[in-house]
Amino acid sequence: MKKLYSNKLVIFTLVLPGLLAFLFAILAPICLSVYYGFTDYTGMGSLNFIGLANYKELVHDKAFWLSMRNSLFLALGFICIQHPIAIVVAAILDKLGGRGEGVFRCIYFIPNVISVAVIAYLWRFIYNPDFGLLNNIIKAFGGKGDTNWFGTDMAIWSVLIVLIWHGFGWGMLIYYTGIKNIDPVLYEAAAIDGASQKTIFLRITLPLMKPVIQVNVTMAVISALKQMETVYLLTNGGPNNQTQFAANYLYQQAFKAYKYGYGNAIGVVFIVICLVATVLLNWIFRDRSEVNPKIRRKRAVG
Amino acid sequence: MKKKNMTVGKCFLWAVLVMMAVIQIFPLIWLVDFSLASSTEMFTSGLLIVPEKIQWGNYVKAFVDGHFLLYLKNSVLINVLAVVLVILISIMAAFACRRMHWRLSGLVKMLLLMGMMIPIHATLLPNYKMYSQLHMTDTIWALLIPYVAFSLPQGMFLMTSFMEAIPEEIEEAAVMDGCGIYRIVFQIITPLLKSSIVTVAIMTFLNNWNEFMMARTYLKTDTWKTLPFSVLEFTGQYSSNYAVQFAVMALTAAPAVIVYIVLNKHITKGVAMGAVKG
Repeated sequence: MKKLYSNKLVIFTLVLPGLLAFLFAILAPICLSVYYGFTDYTGMGSLNFIGLANYKELVHDKAFWLSMRNSLFLALGFICIQHPIAIVVAAILDKLGGRGEGVFRCIYFIPNVISVAVIAYLWRFIYNPDFGLLNNIIKAFGGKGDTNWFGTDMAIWSVLIVLIWHGFGWGMLIYYTGIKNIDPVLYEAAAIDGASQKTIFLRITLPLMKPVIQVNVTMAVISALKQMETVYLLTNGGPNNQTQFAANYLYQQAFKAYKYGYGNAIGVVFIVICLVATVLLNWIFRDRSEVNPKIRRKRAVG
Repeated sequence: MKKKNMTVGKCFLWAVLVMMAVIQIFPLIWLVDFSLASSTEMFTSGLLIVPEKIQWGNYVKAFVDGHFLLYLKNSVLINVLAVVLVILISIMAAFACRRMHWRLSGLVKMLLLMGMMIPIHATLLPNYKMYSQLHMTDTIWALLIPYVAFSLPQGMFLMTSFMEAIPEEIEEAAVMDGCGIYRIVFQIITPLLKSSIVTVAIMTFLNNWNEFMMARTYLKTDTWKTLPFSVLEFTGQYSSNYAVQFAVMALTAAPAVIVYIVLNKHITKGVAMGAVKG
């Protein structure tokens, strides 16, 4: 058994396809990015090595910092608006249950299976000043309904609304699964003790959902950083980089502004930021889950 | 008195659910509604239009001029291939890293999982350069390779965690009977991983079905373009005929929505399993 399970050739053939995919689609491009990040390559013609000039430029690049700000806004929007609503809706759905449960779950998730291309163009029409749905709704409620949703002040909020709307079903579904995994005996015990619904939600559901919330928060921050496709089609970063995101910005720099070298430098920094964010979030949450058993033990003793 | 309170409370909770459902679904109803009207009817202040005559012609135009069948065929083919490859490769790699004894198993596993942290879009520029040097732009490989590579970490992660639940005794018995490693992986382990294979398949599909950034960067001609291109190309072509644009959007969204509604239960379960483990 041991000999069979440590046959180097067999192991090699088993991991080779995976490693090839990793080398070819992930590692090689990252190395290329690092290389081009040190050059002034435009996308064609010759290139010169310019050392750290691209990175120095990046530090003072307002558009890049705007894109970081927008990622932060988006992450906050996910965590402070989308997730609380998702948890509450998931809890209500679990409580009321019955026949409606499946239908509601299905409706909430549908936007998630629709292509970003469709979602982005659909929302461009919803925001349309002439016949857009949103202005018509505002008119129906007696407002003026002539807001320019992609104006300088409004644009970033309009983009955030679309992203929060689109991802709602996903977050809801994960919280819903988490709630379903809670042992119903706990609810029964609480009900016998005379706890109100609100107390049950705050004292039982929420604390037990902590690991799920942590996973969801991590994913929210990462996806806020990685955001590109919706913005690319909705506003393409405009007006004036107000809705810029890092991925979109590096794409623009490389293919529209013909600063391929600079685009790659942004890419390198972007990858580092994503790696650091992931590691940092995992570290923060790992720390807490180590504290948890202690609390539980204390309670058990007490 | 208390009972009355309960029902008022319940009504309120139902109202919350219904309101969220309306917010999530109404834009799509609006989309379908407008896609059946004519462009001149659109400039109303009403929320929905009752079209004078239902304009099925919008959909005919969308179907033909949007290259719907070609793009759908490409999408299905590329996604099925990607799913099969991700499943095979992730089972093989997960088995080698989790079950077999070698020194670098931890390192290789970490490398393969790294892909989860790398932002896809940062690889667009260098990959474009690389593929054009290798004359791979505009081929199926330009999509298939990154699709597989970026879905692999998740697949590998799920497969490893599900594999832990399989008792080693099964393999020991197989080895006694003279089974080789390949037969153990494909004939004994793989069938036991059925539910995780479904999960990985669903996650891979959801990741890649709607992808268009890579497709837009790496493809030039129509040969391998995928479904989102119906929408992307249409907005230029029919920029003033809004109704047809609505029709093409509804049409492109339809396959995924229909499949989702039919397989609702499995997909919900798959996403839940994938998300909780991941």
